[in-house]
Amino acid sequence: MRIITGALVAAVAVVVIAGTPGLAHHSVAAKFDEAKSQTLEGVVTLVDWRNPHVHVFMNVRGPKGEWVNWAVELASPIDLTDSGWNRDSVQPGDAVRVDGFVARNGSRQLWSNTMTLSRTGRQVLNVKPMQPPVPLAKRPTPMGPNGVPRLGALPGGVDGYWAFPSSTVLVENGVNVDIRPDGLLRNVADAPKVAPMQPWALSIYRNRQSRYLQDDPMFLNCKPPGGPRQFQQPYGFQFIEDPERQRIFVLIGSGNRNFRIIYLDGRSHVGQVGGDDDNPLYYGRAVGKWSGQTLEVDTRGFNEDFWFTNGGLPHTDQLRLIERFTRVDFDTLRYDVTIEDPGAYTRPWSSGWTLRWVGGAELPVHFCQDNRP
Amino acid sequence: MRALIFAAALSLVSLAGGTAVAQEGHPLKGSWIGTWEKNQAHGEDVLFVLNWDGKAITGVINPGTDDIKIKNATLDPDKWTVHFEADAKDKQGAITYVVDGKIENLAMHNRYITGTWKSQRGSGAFKIQRQ
Repeated sequence: MRIITGALVAAVAVVVIAGTPGLAHHSVAAKFDEAKSQTLEGVVTLVDWRNPHVHVFMNVRGPKGEWVNWAVELASPIDLTDSGWNRDSVQPGDAVRVDGFVARNGSRQLWSNTMTLSRTGRQVLNVKPMQPPVPLAKRPTPMGPNGVPRLGALPGGVDGYWAFPSSTVLVENGVNVDIRPDGLLRNVADAPKVAPMQPWALSIYRNRQSRYLQDDPMFLNCKPPGGPRQFQQPYGFQFIEDPERQRIFVLIGSGNRNFRIIYLDGRSHVGQVGGDDDNPLYYGRAVGKWSGQTLEVDTRGFNEDFWFTNGGLPHTDQLRLIERFTRVDFDTLRYDVTIEDPGAYTRPWSSGWTLRWVGGAELPVHFCQDNRP
Repeated sequence: MRALIFAAALSLVSLAGGTAVAQEGHPLKGSWIGTWEKNQAHGEDVLFVLNWDGKAITGVINPGTDDIKIKNATLDPDKWTVHFEADAKDKQGAITYVVDGKIENLAMHNRYITGTWKSQRGSGAFKIQRQ
C-alpha cells in the first residue's frame, strides 16, 4: 500500500487501462492532467454513489508512512449502472488498486475509468461504452394526424428519446479539424478553422481551450447546455408534442432536467411566457413551423451565461439560431443549425449531425449538482 | 458617503472573488467599479458601463447627470489591452481623459482592468473590476 509515482512504463499502462476518458458532465481534462498518471493502492473508506460522478475515497500510505485520503472520480452513476455496477460493487474495507490521472490543482484526486480489487484481481467500475440500439429493419418516419412527422413517441405508444449524436462537437460544416469528443482541439492552432469568429471571440476561444475548458459554466455552476449543445449531450433529449396547444417540449437529459418550449402557434418572439427582451433565457425563445417534412425553429433571446458548445465557442446576446429537425426515418433524426451572432462571428455559419432513436425508454436520470465535482 | 458606498461595493467584489464564475459574452461588456487615483477633477471612485454591439465598444463613465460619454474605446484581443478616450468638463474647462490598461483574470466573471489614466489635470493609476 504505497503511492507508486508514474514511471514511463506505468504511464503507458495507465493510458491503455484508463483509455480515453469516458462520458462526463465536464471535460476530464478540465480537472485532471492526462499527461500525469499515478497509481494508488489502498483501502476504500467511502463510496459516494451520486451524480454527476461517482467518487470512491480510499486511504493510501503517504511517503512517510502516514495514511492520506484520496478521492477517485469515476464515471456517472448512469454509465456505471449501465455497465452492470452498483453502489455495493466496491465497499469500504476493500483493498484496491487504481490507475488514473492526477488533478491539475494538486489536490488528492484521481480520475479513473476502473479499479482493481486486490484480493481477486477483478476489475470493477469500468465503463462499457454505450451503444445505440440496432433496429431490426429500417422503419418509415412515423406521421402525425396533421400530415407532419412525429418527433417523439407515437400516441399511446412506448416512450423514447433521441441520443447518440453523430458529433458531440460544434464545428462549421465542411471544416476538418482534429478535435476530441469533449470539445478540446488537439492543436489550438486550428482554432480559427472551427467557426468564423471575430478577433475577440477567437481570442476568448483560444483562452478557454488553453485552460482545458475548466471555465465551462456547465461544469462550474451547472448552467444549462443551451443552444445546439442540448442536442449533443451524453444522455439525450426527448420531444413531448402537445398539438392541442401547438407547442413542443424538449426535455434535456443532462444538466438539471431543463426543458425548452418550441411554439408552433405563430407567435412573435416578444412577450412570451417566461421570457422577453428583459429576461434573456438559456434556451432562448423558440418559434417553429413545419416546412414539408422538416420542423424549422427560429430561436432568439439568449442570455450570455452559458457556453453553447462544449468546446467553448463564445456567443453574445445577439445569438440567433435557425434549427431544422428532420426525422429521416423512424430511428434517425437529422439536426441542422445555422448560427447567426453578429456580436461574435463575422458571418452566419452552419453545422449539423444525426441522432438515434432510443425506443421504449425514458430519459436517463442525471443531475448536475452545484458544488459537486 | 459616496466613497463608502464604493468601498462597500469593492469589498463585496473582493469577497466574491473566490467564487468560480466563468467569463461569458464580450469581455468588456458590463459594469465596472474601481478607482482612478489622484483624480481631483472627478473624484477617485469611478464606474464604467460598457457595451458591445458587434462592431464597436460604447459606454459611459459615472452614469448620471454628470456622466462622461466614452468617445473611443478599443480592445486588442491578442494582448487583452484596452484604450479609452472620453471628453469631460470641470470648473476649469474641457478635459480629455485617456485610459490605457489590460484585462486581468480574463476567464473570470469578476475580471479587472489595471493601467493608467491621464488628462490635462493629471494622471494616476487606474483599476476597475467587473461586477
